[in-house]
Amino acid sequence: MISQKDFKKINDFLWEIPKSFWIKMRVPARLYLSDKMWNQIESRALEQLVNTTTLPGIVKYALGMPDLHSGYGPPIGGVGAIKIPEGVISPGFVGYDENCGVRLLKSEYNDKEIASYLDRLAVEIQKKIPSGLGRGRGIKLGLGEIDKILEGGVPYLVKKGYGGEEDIENCEEKGKMVQAEAAVVSDRAKNRGRDQVGTLGSGNHFIEIQKVAEIFDQAVAQIFGLFQGQVVVMIHTGSRGLGHQNCTDYLRVAMRTLPKYKIELPDRELACVPFESPEGQRFFRAMSAACNYAWANRQMITYYIRKAWQTVLTKKTDLKLLYDVAHNIAKIEEHLVDGKRTKLLVHRKGATRAFPPGHPEIPFQYKEVGQPVLIPGSMGTASYILVGTEKSAEAWYTVCHGAGRIMSRRAATRRISGSEVVRELESRGIVVKCWSMRGIAEEAPLAYKNVDEVVEVVHQVGLAKKVARLVPLAVIKGE
Amino acid sequence: MKNFKILEHSADLEIRVWGRSKEELFKKTMLAMEQALKPKIKNREIQTKIKIESENLEALLVDFLSEINYLNEVNQEIYQKIKFEKFFDTEIEADLFGKKVERFGLQIKGVTFHNLDIHQREDGLWEATIIFDI
Repeated sequence: MISQKDFKKINDFLWEIPKSFWIKMRVPARLYLSDKMWNQIESRALEQLVNTTTLPGIVKYALGMPDLHSGYGPPIGGVGAIKIPEGVISPGFVGYDENCGVRLLKSEYNDKEIASYLDRLAVEIQKKIPSGLGRGRGIKLGLGEIDKILEGGVPYLVKKGYGGEEDIENCEEKGKMVQAEAAVVSDRAKNRGRDQVGTLGSGNHFIEIQKVAEIFDQAVAQIFGLFQGQVVVMIHTGSRGLGHQNCTDYLRVAMRTLPKYKIELPDRELACVPFESPEGQRFFRAMSAACNYAWANRQMITYYIRKAWQTVLTKKTDLKLLYDVAHNIAKIEEHLVDGKRTKLLVHRKGATRAFPPGHPEIPFQYKEVGQPVLIPGSMGTASYILVGTEKSAEAWYTVCHGAGRIMSRRAATRRISGSEVVRELESRGIVVKCWSMRGIAEEAPLAYKNVDEVVEVVHQVGLAKKVARLVPLAVIKGE
Repeated sequence: MKNFKILEHSADLEIRVWGRSKEELFKKTMLAMEQALKPKIKNREIQTKIKIESENLEALLVDFLSEINYLNEVNQEIYQKIKFEKFFDTEIEADLFGKKVERFGLQIKGVTFHNLDIHQREDGLWEATIIFDI
């Protein structure tokens, strides 16, 4: 069992297991964590982090963020950069929900102005955006249309009238990975996606109407267009059944081809293929397509939230996109490795990209200050907006993605009932619209780490800087 | 005999299932998964066929459950009975019987190989442990 004693303390918030710990490690494993958070780290997640260091082509170290928890193959909250073309690509290091991510919409209202409309807004949003576990959107797209979404992402939907130019500009990758190829996504995956564009999904996915409760950096907040008391809408969801099927399909391809490429791994779910191999290239193009689907999904949800806003409120109905960022993805990026610019395939699994000021890949209006980084909390707790810094070059410009679970769903439902959770939220004035009481219990805040502590580690280390703290006004979890 | 047990897993759904034969083990694993989806069932009965080929017994179980999960979602159906026409360690052919579903309470993202275990115990029972990403 791996534990804190196996780690060397590098500084107050950074720990390392050296390469000498195990013969199969290609690089050290590093973990960003505060002293007091050690008791919330599972041994299984640490083992998975160490296993991740065995991936062929991994450079410098495998990284764990303070929200680290166990997944399958690499841990959630795990980051690894693989040297390409010689290294590998791993479906399990992206995760089953390809391009699960977060976007934030800014309203022109403050919380007091909107108080009397809050319940109606929540009802309207819930009505317009199904979870997709029931009747779906009610519209079943043809496979040809799905192909257009897979290759066209957000720009395709904007062209069709489902958004504006700013929705493209303020989305990671401008809402479309150009490497996407619909032909390498299976028909089974596409079938699952036909009635799920604009649906929320289950589990920890949510829409929240929030308010800006605290601003930490006034200058950056101003550039982001944020003000104290401002009402914002956060959307957390991913590529739905299409992405899940795509990961399932390619994980099996990777497992079957391990002997062909003579790759030996300590865990099957780490399965990977050489990036340059036909299988590796097909997966990269298919994953890119699923990522486009996820961005399109969040765009379509945005479209319906804007409709709800217009239905309930008569004036000041603008909802501008602050930013949209993925936290389950693998991307080609250039980083400095030992002083040399190097092409890397950065895998982020439950980890958020956070580019610094001046980076060419962030929107023009944020260039001076850095990329907006969106960190959702667990249901009913705070969420954060941070900004990327140069310091996070050491983590391939990456930070945490949320609070991270510490309690199983079963344990959570034993400890607290759905109606108790709802009562507790309502007693704090939070409106709750959900379909399943049990689902609510499983996502109770007590099942998660404290997001304030997780974000504090990132902020103290300097991987990103806090800009604003958001608190929920309404939680919406599908029809 | 108890059909299955839900184990503690912080983020995902981990279950352990027992059966007197491999066929029964597969059937009970399917039923456990279907129950986990928390379906709201309609009255209309349905029937469908599946055919799976895999490299070994473990992969067969994962591929079998992945197929069922796919059919659940795309057809909005739940399966309550299975009749195996063929059952080998690398191949299954079966008829599935079930009902249409109004909605599910949960979506399974993936049937994982993580810590997957299938073995025959000393008392002769077959036991499987499997994790679903939810």
